[in-house]
Amino acid sequence: MNTIIQNILVFAAVALALWFLLNKFGVLPKKKTAVTKACGKDDCGCH
Amino acid sequence: MAKQINVALIGNPNTGKTSVFNALTGLNQKVGNYPGITVEKKEGICKLPRGVKAHIIDLPGTYSLNASSLDENVVIELLLNKNDKDFPDVAVVVSDVENLKRNLLLYTQIKDLEIPTILVINMSDRMTYKGIKLDIPYLEQKLETKIALISTRKNRGIDELKEVIANYKELSVKPCLNASEIDTDYFDKLRKAFPNQLLYKLWLVITQDVNFGKVDRNQIDAIHSFKTKSEADLKRLQQKETIKRYQFINNTLKKGQTIDLNSAKDLRIKLDRILTHKVWGYLIFGIILLTIFQAIYDWSSVPMDFIDSAFASLSEWTKHLMPEGAFTNLIAEGIIPGLGGIVIFIPQIAFLFLFISVLEESGYMSRVVFLMDRIMRRFGLSGKSVVPLISGTACAIPAIMATRNIESWKERLITILVTPFTTCSARLPVYLIIISLVIPEGRFFGLSYQALTLMLLYLIGFGAAIVSAWILNKVLKIRSKTFFVVEMPNYKVPLLKNVALTVLEKTKSFVFGAGKIILAISIVLWFLASYGPGEQFNNAEDIVTQQHALDNLTQDELDQKIASHKLEHSFIGIAGHAIEPAIRPLGYDWKIGIAIVSSFAAREVFVGTLATIYSVGSDEEETIKNRMAGEVNPILGGPLFNFASGISLLLFYAFAMQCMSTLAIVKRETNSWKWPMYQLVIMSAFAYLVALIAYQFLK
Repeated sequence: MNTIIQNILVFAAVALALWFLLNKFGVLPKKKTAVTKACGKDDCGCH
Repeated sequence: MAKQINVALIGNPNTGKTSVFNALTGLNQKVGNYPGITVEKKEGICKLPRGVKAHIIDLPGTYSLNASSLDENVVIELLLNKNDKDFPDVAVVVSDVENLKRNLLLYTQIKDLEIPTILVINMSDRMTYKGIKLDIPYLEQKLETKIALISTRKNRGIDELKEVIANYKELSVKPCLNASEIDTDYFDKLRKAFPNQLLYKLWLVITQDVNFGKVDRNQIDAIHSFKTKSEADLKRLQQKETIKRYQFINNTLKKGQTIDLNSAKDLRIKLDRILTHKVWGYLIFGIILLTIFQAIYDWSSVPMDFIDSAFASLSEWTKHLMPEGAFTNLIAEGIIPGLGGIVIFIPQIAFLFLFISVLEESGYMSRVVFLMDRIMRRFGLSGKSVVPLISGTACAIPAIMATRNIESWKERLITILVTPFTTCSARLPVYLIIISLVIPEGRFFGLSYQALTLMLLYLIGFGAAIVSAWILNKVLKIRSKTFFVVEMPNYKVPLLKNVALTVLEKTKSFVFGAGKIILAISIVLWFLASYGPGEQFNNAEDIVTQQHALDNLTQDELDQKIASHKLEHSFIGIAGHAIEPAIRPLGYDWKIGIAIVSSFAAREVFVGTLATIYSVGSDEEETIKNRMAGEVNPILGGPLFNFASGISLLLFYAFAMQCMSTLAIVKRETNSWKWPMYQLVIMSAFAYLVALIAYQFLK
């Protein structure tokens, strides 16, 4: 039982580490960030 | 709920703006980036009187609102965009008592944007020393604001400044200069075309040669299409504006400020004469560098030894404490040694940044920039290239971003391409561990051989940057104008708080930035070193026991043989053996090869990788250094890390482009993959060649 849990934890840790590295170095596709709402319309407030 | 207001700290460089920010926010600050760009964004929270909370942003230093760099662009974009969540309720313009005239130009521009503006006059403790007297009530009346006369060094006036910020609603928003005075006809037309808008804001949008990313494109295009005047005419009007502003400032200071040069007791000129002297200047700089490297070695050896043995004990203790199994081994043999490989270098990194911070705070670094400009010019670089090259000792990434203030594209591109040669803090762990293994501990005129080697490596890096700049200057056919302007700040005794915060921030970012990558790589490496395919790995115990059945080995020796056999046939062992033919001529074995490949993510990973690989299967309580010292060359016998292979490795790391993040930032700054690819191929090939020659010559 102990061996199974330890192995699960190892594989989870390795998967997490791989995901982190792939994400960090841009291998995984990144989520698109929202485009900044532009001002300058009628009520933009910048004037 | 307490009311929160936005406060923007704005000012010329070297006015002590960051000291004011530190005094207001203390440790309630965080450092990030502006969205979409890599300009540093510092913000913090300050508690003001009557329960008011202030969200303070320390904006990049700028001389005026006529932006000429990305940093300055950030300031103008924020001040022009009322919809920005950080748009200030009040702007605090920080000035320096000795350069009030120049600093007031920026103040008058911000005031004309009709934002409540406070003028902070910093370094008031130097007034008597410099023979300066200020008529504060008169200046407040003429500048239509409240003035806080402060000294961050003596911690004077900060409470008064907080009080003034809390009462920002009482401030006048009347402009200093009537924009129409610049050119009545032109501004009348402008007012008619955009009746609801602030005239000075329109003028700034028309005259700025920058991309307004945050402000609506349609509006910008509409204003730009209005221009009606040629670029040359607009430049003339800009000059007229500056002259009018200085007329206003001169009139204000004529009565508001008196300077008695007879009562000034200034050491600055005398010091400058020595520190920028064409012989003494370089000699003093050399002595300072030597002292720094010696101190890095001497002062940090005790805490480093302690950390090293503490991690070895922690690893051993974990094995005893946790139940036997794969996860326990992962923690004890993978994660702890991997992290130990980075934590051990905290003392040396902290000392390096302590010295750099003291040199910057004292004003000496600007003298170095001036001093080095004489040399840099000959190699196609600007004096301003010194800043990225010196910043590169911390990390090439901010250093490459710091090239943005170099006006000439050719000089900037050359600086970007050569900066990765400078010895960054990520190379330091690699250098330190290898130097300690292959360079003897003796001394030469009181300086240890190890410190001298480290200094030599820094000089090699700097020399490589200079020589490659010279070559690039000859090869690149880009025409561009070049000029050099640098401000010499006054000499100051460094503020302990500022130095401490810089050391803390830089060390923290080194440990946590690299630490996460090292932790992840340690886990993956441990897995690859602890698992493997095929009979040789799975039946390692039987195979080794049969092989050594007649050798009369003790149980410990047999266990070592089994662990070694398993490692060789693990996934990492197979990969390592595949690349071994390429690195064998350099004096490295497959384990070093794996460490080199994995350190492409970040150079400092090299030590953590070796620590992880050498720990797998080992039950001994051993330090990283001892494990590396105990490695034997499988072909030649004798220590693997000997003088020849050690020097070869040091030179490889001195020249190789071993950093993914740097390549990414070069791509972003040059907007092309062409330059980072050139860097990668040329630097790596050169590093390989030099390492090969060094090993073959020294072995």
